Amino acid sequence: MSALSPHLLAEIKELPARYPQPRSAVMPALDLAQEELGYLNPEAMSEVAAALELDPGYVEGVATFYTLFHLAPTGKHHFYVCTNLSCTLRGADEIVEHLKKAIAVTGPDAVSAEGLFSYEEVECLGACEFAPMMRLDRRYYYDLTAEKIDDLIADRKGHLPARRGGRRAAPGGETQVPSVPVEAPHPSPPVRKSALRAPGERVAREGRDVPRKKKGA
Amino acid sequence: MPELRGSFGDAPNHLLTRWFGTPDLHRLGVYESKAGGYSALRKALLEMAPADITSEVKTSGLRGRGGAGFATGTKWSFINRDAPGPKYVVINADESEPGTSKDRYILENSPHLLVEGILIAAYAVGANQAWVYIRGEYDEPYRMLSEAIEEARAKGYLGPKPMGKDYPLDIRLYRGHGAYICGEETALLESLEGKRAQPRSRPPFPAVKGAWGRPTLLNNVETLATVPWIINNGGAAYAKFGTDKSPGTRLLSVSGNVRKPGVYEVELGQSFRHVIMELAGGVTEGRSLKVFWPGGSSAPVLPASMLDTKTDMEALAAARSMGGSGGVIVMDDSHCIVRAAHRLLKFYAHESCGKCTPCRVGGDWAVRTYDRILANEGSQTELDTLQRVSDGLQNGRCLCGLGDSAGWVIDSTLRHFREEYEDHALRHECNVGGPPAASGRHLPRDRDEAASA
Ligand SMILES: Cc1cc2nc3c(=O)[nH]c(=O)nc-3n(C[C@H](O)[C@H](O)[C@H](O)COP(=O)(O)O)c2cc1C
Ligand code: SF4
Ligand code: FES
Repeated sequence: MSALSPHLLAEIKELPARYPQPRSAVMPALDLAQEELGYLNPEAMSEVAAALELDPGYVEGVATFYTLFHLAPTGKHHFYVCTNLSCTLRGADEIVEHLKKAIAVTGPDAVSAEGLFSYEEVECLGACEFAPMMRLDRRYYYDLTAEKIDDLIADRKGHLPARRGGRRAAPGGETQVPSVPVEAPHPSPPVRKSALRAPGERVAREGRDVPRKKKGA
Repeated sequence: MPELRGSFGDAPNHLLTRWFGTPDLHRLGVYESKAGGYSALRKALLEMAPADITSEVKTSGLRGRGGAGFATGTKWSFINRDAPGPKYVVINADESEPGTSKDRYILENSPHLLVEGILIAAYAVGANQAWVYIRGEYDEPYRMLSEAIEEARAKGYLGPKPMGKDYPLDIRLYRGHGAYICGEETALLESLEGKRAQPRSRPPFPAVKGAWGRPTLLNNVETLATVPWIINNGGAAYAKFGTDKSPGTRLLSVSGNVRKPGVYEVELGQSFRHVIMELAGGVTEGRSLKVFWPGGSSAPVLPASMLDTKTDMEALAAARSMGGSGGVIVMDDSHCIVRAAHRLLKFYAHESCGKCTPCRVGGDWAVRTYDRILANEGSQTELDTLQRVSDGLQNGRCLCGLGDSAGWVIDSTLRHFREEYEDHALRHECNVGGPPAASGRHLPRDRDEAASA
């Protein structure tokens, strides 16, 4: 029983011919594998290696270097939230906090119930004028607010049966989002020293302080 | 049409962005009929000798917009056009420098502008094949660029006989997979060859031994998108803009605590006061400017008192910073410089490819030192450590610019904000802040807390 389907492996075998040197096919091949499987496990990487006639250790070395290759399952909808400087200056940390609660996960390695959602904090996504922003389902979302996050989650849940809590799928697959009353901002907000927070909070949450790409560097 | 925040339309200094905002500019027909598109390619292929194209670019004085600011025409002339065997043009569309979004702005608004620039460059340096290395997260720009290439192919502007000229030209795309270091030119080439993206030592330079061991011209998206204007209007006309040593205009992506973040095309030599206060509308209501990064997170910071610094590369060098990637990050007085530096050091530590020791070890070491300072466990020792790590990262001790950049963040923030560092490290207090400005964009902290209570 192989991890990747025979027709995908056949497709992967076609890739090397498209490049001046066959090795360049490794990333496009891993892309195809990840698209089919959702992530890259050791079997998939070995099969890609075999199809490209490369050493499995080499292929794994490439896959572990790049952050867009996932080595563990992610949710069906994976939120890539930018928390680099320009986004943090405009509230990215609050977005991550809200998102975590909204999809009910403890941290970046966790997947929500039914395998639907997961998230990751990422570095600058090159759309800083729309900060805070994120990438979800191969699209960018701009000027994020808690409400926008809630709407996106409700929308992605739309194809699920009606759930407790009053959000239900309307006919036609559209999701009805009950309008949440937006409270007026607190008249005299508590003193906030800075949106850039103390490190303790972040380190615990990121769980990725040691860059994984350095393994075996 | 993509959402547009920044420069576009009729203004004397809008050389690249003049037609941005035109409906369907990304379609070849509109690019040609409304924006005069592909006239430069036609002129280059049918009326100019390759050497004349390169010399026109030299005359323009155009300097690379990817970060290092190297003279573009000179770089083109390094490629031996007559060397036998394949040569390549590789386009750096990896755009990952924090605070930088100008290449995306070009790709989403006018992909044909880049296609046209690439084809002219390839013809000039004697390459038949170009590869665009585009960061993997750019789904929409990737789609738009692919479509533009297919349109140009269908119209016969690239292929075996572009515009009837017996000179085959082709463009292919290669997607990145999330690693900042791939923006560094030799790491990019490694990645394109299917390897872990660790920079190569130079020489040999890419012009001699680049992609797949062949002579390669490597340019940034904005650099090549500027070429059609130069070919249409002449290098001398381009050199009339900007300053003597930094001619022309460039796109500055302005982000952070400004009222109108966006990508603005600015004549080089304009002041940052003009860019930040006028174009980007100044800082958020009720706040004042504290500091800005003039050229991406890698460019040493400038405090508010240096707002009159000019945008050209010489003025920035004199201010001990650099033009870098053109990403202007603006921070107001409600934010703490130590925390901002800490955030950026985490970025550099995370993105270090691990090939050289000062960068691999120094980055993590700096992050841990910042951790201690911000946990109120700091002392003079931590401040000294930061300075030592910073020195160890700079001055060519690392193989590529990433190490220097990490060092500059520490060094420049320490230099300009010593007191704030001492508040944290020696007195264990943060004296930044006051109540946050009312801003519709921020999530009110109190509502968040109420929800969780
Ligand atoms: C760490 C690092 C990251 C870089 N990232 C980019 C990038 O994302 N895009 C880019 O065009 N140049 C980047 N550069 C600069 C490139 O190495 C190279 O100088 C540039 O692409 C050359 O093109 P130009 O001459 O047109 O500027 C980076 C350099 C370093 C050291
Ligand atoms: S400076 Fe850092 S990123 Fe650059 S080659 Fe050395 S270890 Fe890699
Ligand atoms: S910092 Fe978030 S997109 Fe650039």
